[in-house]
Amino acid sequence: MLKMTHLSKVYRTEVVETYALRDFNIDVKEGEFVAVTGPSGSGKTTFLTIAGLLETFTGGEYHLDGIEVSQLDDNARSKIRNEKIGFIFQAFNLIPDLNVFDNVEVPLRYRGMKSAERKERIMNALERVGLASRAKHYPAELSGGQQQRVAIARALAGSPRLLLADEPTGNLDTQMARGVLELLEEIHREGATIVMVTHDPELAARAQRNVHVIDGQVVDLAEDPRFHTAYTAAAGQVRS
Amino acid sequence: MTLPPIIAALRKHKAGAVLIALQIALTLAIVCNAIFIIYSRVDAVRRPTGMDESNLFMVEQQWVGAPSGDDAASLQKQDAMLREDLAALRAMPGVVSVTPSNSMPLLNSSWNGSAALKPGVDLRGGNARTTYYFGDDQFLSTLGLHLIAGRNFTAADVVNKGFRDNSQPDIIIVTKALADKLFPQGNAVGKVIYLNGDTKPSTIVGEVERLQAPSVDSWAAGFVWNATIAPIRLNGNFARYVIRTKPGQLDTVMRGVRDVLYKVDPMRVLDDDSVKSFADIRANAYRADVGMAMLMAVVCLILLAITAAGIVGLTSFWVGQRHRQIGVRRALGARKIDILHYFQLENLLIAGAGALVGIVLAIGLNKVLMLNFEMSRMPLVYVLGGLAIVMALGQLAVFVPARRASNVPPVVATRSV
Repeated sequence: MLKMTHLSKVYRTEVVETYALRDFNIDVKEGEFVAVTGPSGSGKTTFLTIAGLLETFTGGEYHLDGIEVSQLDDNARSKIRNEKIGFIFQAFNLIPDLNVFDNVEVPLRYRGMKSAERKERIMNALERVGLASRAKHYPAELSGGQQQRVAIARALAGSPRLLLADEPTGNLDTQMARGVLELLEEIHREGATIVMVTHDPELAARAQRNVHVIDGQVVDLAEDPRFHTAYTAAAGQVRS
Repeated sequence: MTLPPIIAALRKHKAGAVLIALQIALTLAIVCNAIFIIYSRVDAVRRPTGMDESNLFMVEQQWVGAPSGDDAASLQKQDAMLREDLAALRAMPGVVSVTPSNSMPLLNSSWNGSAALKPGVDLRGGNARTTYYFGDDQFLSTLGLHLIAGRNFTAADVVNKGFRDNSQPDIIIVTKALADKLFPQGNAVGKVIYLNGDTKPSTIVGEVERLQAPSVDSWAAGFVWNATIAPIRLNGNFARYVIRTKPGQLDTVMRGVRDVLYKVDPMRVLDDDSVKSFADIRANAYRADVGMAMLMAVVCLILLAITAAGIVGLTSFWVGQRHRQIGVRRALGARKIDILHYFQLENLLIAGAGALVGIVLAIGLNKVLMLNFEMSRMPLVYVLGGLAIVMALGQLAVFVPARRASNVPPVVATRSV
């Protein structure tokens, strides 16, 4: 579903080159729920923006649902974002001027979908996240957890092949976070492929597989002697 | 992107949208009325006088110590001086023809009166108002008028009279406009009319196609094409000569005319303003109209620039305000062109709403001007023209900030505020 091989992302200025990702390799299979973890500045958000075609990369290869994306132009990338990827952002990113229904409708309109189909998909998605009754409400009238549920409904409405979540519970209190996480797990059980970026070990532990990013590279914590001690301690904390 | 979400978003930004819509409405109302005024002025400036205006100039001069003209003998002396000038001017190399004349089109110095079908009817009771031209048998050929019926004056027809002599001419030539007004059935030639409430009839011997009155002011607009030409040399201590030159000889003849007249009689006043080409007379007559048209055009341009600046300002503000939102839309699949279209469509909605109000204001403003400033009804084409201008202006003004918006990268959606 998502395969990056020797991928790199370099930010260049006149005097310095900074590698955000270096020789980055990851292979996410269809139906997997993968958590990408790592400390701040490790490159996990850069990975997510490249995975979501929000940014281009400098070198290597990236296949998304069988398509090599490096040569695609801006319009083709927009089309893939719209049809194959669903985004769940930490800050929800709902459009404050639009009500819940219109917010969920945004990606469907860009797809050129007919009105009747749009309406059916929107209501199904809102029912799935338990917010069908709030369709006419504006984001400011909802709690943080509800706003994130609307964002999830927006991501689900287009039936994407891949859900990308960037710290989906980062702006929520514990109770709301638990609700959102349960919803993601439910969506995964129904067959969705989910890649979630988080720095929260507890949240990562709920995923099927963890991928750790440090200094722009995927590392195996159990095998790498630099992180073996820390990994064992963290794993113990999660288990307890 | 279609209209409902744009309208929904605009509801959240009413104040800015309403202000711009009102600005567009006012601009439309003022611009289409201003364009109508400009066109009306330009139309008036460009209308032909009926003369062949090329190679034509006029000399105004005053004799010093001329006979009084109060008695027949001194009047004849004045006439002799006039004829002596005419003979000298006609003998100049490069001159085609010369006529004495009390005035000429666009000179803003006119003799006006009434023409009636019955004797003794005063100005108010007359059938038509008319302007009078007095010239000799070379009047038509010098001015280049087109005789369309009857005959021209002959030398034998021409008489002389003093400025204070109110007697009416035996024969006259009238313009087609005056003939049609007096005799709608046609065949004016041979008919008699009574000028200035007199009981003495004047017989129409000819009809010219067109000859404009000297005055370009609005008070003369009702009879601007009604002219009566009488075969009279007006005698006084003042005279005007209209001179037609051969093509290409105008400047040369104009430069030499003072010397010729001074040679005939040095006792006269001939200053720098005494010799005027018809092009100068035309420019002078319409200076106010041209000035008004230019002022209106400048006002229009300033207004349009202010409106465009308002649209650019508001759209730029909204683009800045919605920077993250634009990034989110891009992340959700909007192409650059979708973002560009979003802002263009939004502007179209605001400008369209403003234009609807503007059309009503434009028609209302025209009615006010009609009531208070003798303006005519503005044809619908000016409203449509104004509408096209403000809508196009809106789209042009919104393009730069909208393009800037379309270049917001989708990765903005992942950045913290």
